[in-house]
Amino acid sequence: MRYARLLIIALISHAVADDYQLLRADPSGYPRAVPNPAIEFPTDHLPHPDFRIEWWYLTANLTDADGESWGLQWTLFRQAMTPNADPGGWASKQVWMAHAALSTPTGHRYAERFARGGIGQAGVALNDTGDFNAWLDDWQWTGTAGSLFPGTLDLAFDAINLDITLNSTTPWVLQGEAGYHQKSDLGQASHYYSQPHIQIDGELTVDGETFTVSGPGWLDREWSSQPLAPNQPGWDWFSLHLNDGSALMVYQLRNDNGEPWINGTWVDADGRSQSLERGAIELTAESFTTLTLPTGEQKTLPLDWTLRLPDRNHSWRITALRPDSWLSTLFPYWEGPVVAQSQNPATPGGMGYLELTGY
Amino acid sequence: MRRLLSVLTRVLLTLLSHYRRHIAQTLFLAIGLVTGVGLWSAVQIINDHARASYSEADQLLGAQASHWVRARDGAGIDPADYIALRRDGFTQLYPILETRLAVNDEPLWLIATDLLALPRSESPLGASGGDWPSLVQPPYQTWYPPDLAADFGIGPGDTLMLDDGRQLPPAALQQQPQQGRRLFMDIGAALAVLQRDHFSYLGVGELSSAETDRLRRALPNHLQLVDNRQRLDLTQLTASLHSHLTAMSLLAFAVGLFIVFNAVRFALHLRRPTLHTLRELGASSRMLSVAVLLEALVWSALGTLGGLAAGRALATLLLPPVASSLQSLYGAVVGTDIQLGWARILLAWGITLVGLLLALAWPLWREAQQNIRQARSASDDWAADRQARRWLALFGLLLAVAALMLHSRMSTVTQGFVVLGLSLFAAAFVLPVWLASALRLVERCLPEPAWKLRWALRDAWAQLPQVRVAMMALLLALTANLGVETLVGSFRSALTIWLDQRLAADLYIQDDSLRLAAFTDHGAAPWLVASHQRNGVQIRWSGRPTLIRGLNTNAPDSRALPLADANEHLQDWFDGDNDWVLANEQVHHLAGVELGDRVQVDTAQGPQAFRIAGFFHDYGSPYFQLYLPYATVERLWPNASPEGLALWLSDAPDAEQQAESALLAAGAQPGDWLNQNTIKRVSLRIFDRTFAITTAMNGLTLSVAGIALLAALLALHQQRLSHYAHWRALGVRYREWLLIVALPLALLVALTGLAALPLGALLSSLLVHDLNVHAFGWTMPLQWQWPPALRLAALTAAVLGLTLLISLWQVRRRLPLALKQLGEDDA
Repeated sequence: MRYARLLIIALISHAVADDYQLLRADPSGYPRAVPNPAIEFPTDHLPHPDFRIEWWYLTANLTDADGESWGLQWTLFRQAMTPNADPGGWASKQVWMAHAALSTPTGHRYAERFARGGIGQAGVALNDTGDFNAWLDDWQWTGTAGSLFPGTLDLAFDAINLDITLNSTTPWVLQGEAGYHQKSDLGQASHYYSQPHIQIDGELTVDGETFTVSGPGWLDREWSSQPLAPNQPGWDWFSLHLNDGSALMVYQLRNDNGEPWINGTWVDADGRSQSLERGAIELTAESFTTLTLPTGEQKTLPLDWTLRLPDRNHSWRITALRPDSWLSTLFPYWEGPVVAQSQNPATPGGMGYLELTGY
Repeated sequence: MRRLLSVLTRVLLTLLSHYRRHIAQTLFLAIGLVTGVGLWSAVQIINDHARASYSEADQLLGAQASHWVRARDGAGIDPADYIALRRDGFTQLYPILETRLAVNDEPLWLIATDLLALPRSESPLGASGGDWPSLVQPPYQTWYPPDLAADFGIGPGDTLMLDDGRQLPPAALQQQPQQGRRLFMDIGAALAVLQRDHFSYLGVGELSSAETDRLRRALPNHLQLVDNRQRLDLTQLTASLHSHLTAMSLLAFAVGLFIVFNAVRFALHLRRPTLHTLRELGASSRMLSVAVLLEALVWSALGTLGGLAAGRALATLLLPPVASSLQSLYGAVVGTDIQLGWARILLAWGITLVGLLLALAWPLWREAQQNIRQARSASDDWAADRQARRWLALFGLLLAVAALMLHSRMSTVTQGFVVLGLSLFAAAFVLPVWLASALRLVERCLPEPAWKLRWALRDAWAQLPQVRVAMMALLLALTANLGVETLVGSFRSALTIWLDQRLAADLYIQDDSLRLAAFTDHGAAPWLVASHQRNGVQIRWSGRPTLIRGLNTNAPDSRALPLADANEHLQDWFDGDNDWVLANEQVHHLAGVELGDRVQVDTAQGPQAFRIAGFFHDYGSPYFQLYLPYATVERLWPNASPEGLALWLSDAPDAEQQAESALLAAGAQPGDWLNQNTIKRVSLRIFDRTFAITTAMNGLTLSVAGIALLAALLALHQQRLSHYAHWRALGVRYREWLLIVALPLALLVALTGLAALPLGALLSSLLVHDLNVHAFGWTMPLQWQWPPALRLAALTAAVLGLTLLISLWQVRRRLPLALKQLGEDDA
C-alpha cells in the first residue's frame, strides 16, 4: 500500500491541518472500495477515474557493475478534484502528479511534476498499438499489449537519465481479501494489488556518467476514495526483497489514540502469497535520526527498526541505506532503500524500501 | 562637556519654542516640507516601482521567461504542438494566452496560463494561494488584482460583461506574481470562455544552451524560438518617460522649498530678539550655529517622515493610471503594490536636509554671526531689499546665460531638463526686479490726486520683500502649468490629426491569423471597397527593438501616410523600389539618420542596406520602425507574420453589419476586429490617462504655490499688525485697508502672471521642440491656446481672493489686541 502522498489536491486546501488531510477527507459522492472487487486485467491497470485517488508506484533496489547500491522510485498519482461528472478536455477534473527519485551511492535526488488531466499531457491508457502506457510529459512506462511487462521506463530529471526494462513472470499479488484492503476499524479501505517480483535491467546516466544496473523492483497499484481514518496521522511501510527469492510487505498505520493498524503479506518466490495479520507481526522502532532539511526544518524519523514474524521465526534489523532520503515535495515524506539484516540463522537477509509519512 | 550639552539643549529648546508660539508658521513650514518631499517622493516611488517591474520582465507570472515560442504566421500555438513538446521532455514550456479585452471601451488585459505547467521554483500552486480547483473547473474564476477590481467595482463572485457580450467567470480577489494590472485565468477556462483554440505563445523557462539548441531543432517549422529581451528594452524605452516625471517632481520639490524658505525667513525675523538675547546671555555664535543646524536636522527628519507618508499615499493614487499607460504604450507589466526602500528614505532625508540647510541655515547662521551691537541697531530690511533684488537678478541673468549656452549644444534629455531648470530659475530670480520696475512705472503714471491709489502702490514696496519668494514660487508654478498644458494640448491635437490620417480604414482585424480570403470571395465582397494586409517582424537595429513592416505601397492609407519629411525618392518607394524605405521620425531624431542616408539591417539573408526616402510621424511608439513593400519583407524575413488587416467598407448603410456577419461566419470572434472610431477613442483615452499624472502634478504644484502665497501674507500681516493698528487709529476703515493691502498684492500677482505668459510659451517650446524630440523622437507643431491661460488666471485670482479673505479675517481678529498694545505703548 502506498497511499503515498497522493493528495494532489490538498494543494487546494491550504487551510487543512496537515499535508495528508486529503487522504482522510469525506468521501461523499465518490465510489468506495468494496469487498470482492473482482480485479481484472488489463482493465484494472488503467485509471479508475471516479475514485478520488489512485497510484502506480514503483520502487527498486539496483546494483551497478561495481556492486554499488542504487535505489529507484517512480510514482504516478491521479486525483479527481470533485465527485461530479468529468467535463473532460481542459476542464477535466483529473490532476496528475509524478515523483521520480534516485538514491545514488553518494546522494539522493528527486523531482516532482504536475499535469492536468484531459489534455494528453499525462495519463494511463492503452496506446494506439494497444500497449500499456503510463506517462507525465516525457516520463513514461510502456508495457506490452495490455500488460505492464515486459516494459520499459524512461525518466529524465536533474541531469539524470534512466532507461530500464522491467520483466516479471509471477502472478499479481492481490493484497488483503482478493484486492480489498481494509485500513482501519472505521471502514477505510482501498483496492490494492502488487507485483513484488520485477526484474529490472538497464542504464543510468548521472551527470554524464553511465552505469549499467540491475536488481529487483516492486510495483503497487492502489485506488481509493478515503484510505485514512481521521485518527491516523501517517504510516510506516516496508517492502523487502529477501535473498531466498521471497518478498515481504509490512506496514503500520499509526493511530493518534490507540494501537497502530498493522498488516502485511508474505510472497513466495513463485508469487504465492499469504496475508500477515496483526498478531503475526512485531514492529519496533529502535532509534530515531534527526535530519536537517535544506529549509532548516528538522525532522526526527525512525530509520532503524526491528521486524519479527514470530510464527515464522524470522527476525530482521532494518536500517536506512541513506538517511537523507527526505522528499520536500508538495506532500513531503521520507522514502529510501533499506538493508534487512537477518537476526537469526533461519532468516534470509535482503534489501528493500521504507516509506515514512506523517512525520 | 555635560554642561555644554545642557546649555545647547536649552538654546535649542529656546529656538524651537518659537514654533510653538507661532503655530501658523510652524504649519506652513511643515506643509512646505511635506508637500515638497511628498511630491518628489511620490514620483520617485512610482519610478522605482516601475523600474523594479522592468527588471522582472524576464519573469512571467513567477516563472522564468528567457524565450518565447511563437507561431511564424502569428496564428498562435496549437495545444497539440505544446503537448507534443512537453512529451518530448521540454518541461520548461508553458502555455500563455494573453489578450486585450474591452469593457465600456476601456482596455483590459487578460493573461492565462496552466499553473500546473508553470516552472516556478516553489511548488506550482504554492505561490498562487487561491482556490485552484475553482479556477480550472466550470464555472471557473477570474482573478483580479484588488486595485483593478476596485476600479471596475467588482467584488468577489461578480461577473464582468465584456463589450463583445461575453461574460467573464466570477471574480476572486487574487494575485499572481507579475500579474500587474491584468486579469488572470486558467488557460483552459480562457480557451473556453473566449472560444479560442490556440494559445498566444509559449513561455520558456530557464534552459541551458544545449537544451535551447535542442528545442530550436525540435520545434516544428511553423514555430520559432524568440529571445525575451523585454527587461533590457523596457528599461531603455521608458527611460525618457521616467526622466520627465523626475523633472516634474524636482520642480514640485523646489516650489515646496520656496514655502520653507519663506517660513524660515519669517521665523528668523521674529526670532531676531531671541537670538540677540541669547548672545547677550553668553551663548557663543558657534553654539547658536550648532543649535541652528540641529534645528534643521529636526525639521528635516519631521519633513521627510511626513513627506514620505504623503508621497506614498499620493503614489498609491497615481500609480494605477501610470501602470495602465505603461501597459498600453510599452507592454510593461507594472503591479500596484508599492514598496518604499531604505535607500529612497535616506535619499529623501538627504535632499530635505540639503534643501533646509540652504533655506534655513544660511540666513540664521549669518544672523548668529552678526555683531550684537550692529544687529541691535539694524533697522528694517527695506533698504537691503533693493540690493537683494539686484543680486538675485544678476544671479538670474547668469543662469539665463548658462541656459542659452547649454541650449545651443544640448543633445540629451537630461541636458534638456537642465536647460529647462536653469531657465525657470533664471526667470524666478529676475522676477523681483521686474516687479519693482513695473511698480515704479505704474507709480509714475498715477495722477496726483489719486492719493489712496498712490498709498496702495507705496504699500506694495512694503509688501514686496515679504512676498517676493511667494511670487517666485507662483511664477514657477504658473510657468510650469502653462508650459505643460501647451505641450499636452499640442500633442493631443497632433495626435488627433495623425489618428485621423493614419486610421483611414473602417475596420481593423485584430486576429492576425484571419485572412481576407477566409471571409470574402477571393478578396472581393459587395461591402468591401479596399483592403490592406500588412506583415511585420521585430528585429534589433541601432540597439533598439525595431519593427519592420511590409505595406502595400498603393493601399489608401499608405498613400496618405502622415509624413514629417521626404525627399524626391518618395515616389520610388510608392513604386515599390526595394532600395528605398520609409522610417518613423524616431529613426531621424534618436538614431541621427538623415534623408537619403543608408541604413543597414539584419535580414534572414544577411545584412541588407536601404536608403531613407522619408520620415513619417509615429506618435506613441517607443520603437524604431521601417516601412518596406510587403513582398520585400516576405522575401527578406521569411518569418515575418501577417498583421493588421485593414478594411475599407462601401457606403452601403449596412456595410459594417455585412462585414461583421462575414467575419463571424468565417469563425472570427467578436473583439477580433475593431472599428476606426473605437481605436481612436481608446487611443485618446490612453493619451489622456498618460498625461493624468502630469495634470495632477501640475495642479498640486500650483496649490503648493498658493499655500506659499497664503503663508507669506499671513506672516506679513502679523508682522505689520502694529502698522495696521496705527492706520486703524488714524481712522482707516477695513474697506480702505483691504484696498490698500489688496490692490498692490493683486498688482504683483498680475505682473507675475504676465511674466508667466512668455515664460510658459518658452517652456512649452523647449518641451515640444527640444525635450520631446530628444526623449521620444516625436515632432509636432506647437499650438498656443488661450483657454488654459485664462483658466489659470481665474484659478490664481481665486487663490488670491481666498488668501486675502483669510488674511482679512486674521487681521480683524487680532487688530483689537494690537490696538490695545498700541495704547499701552503710548501710555
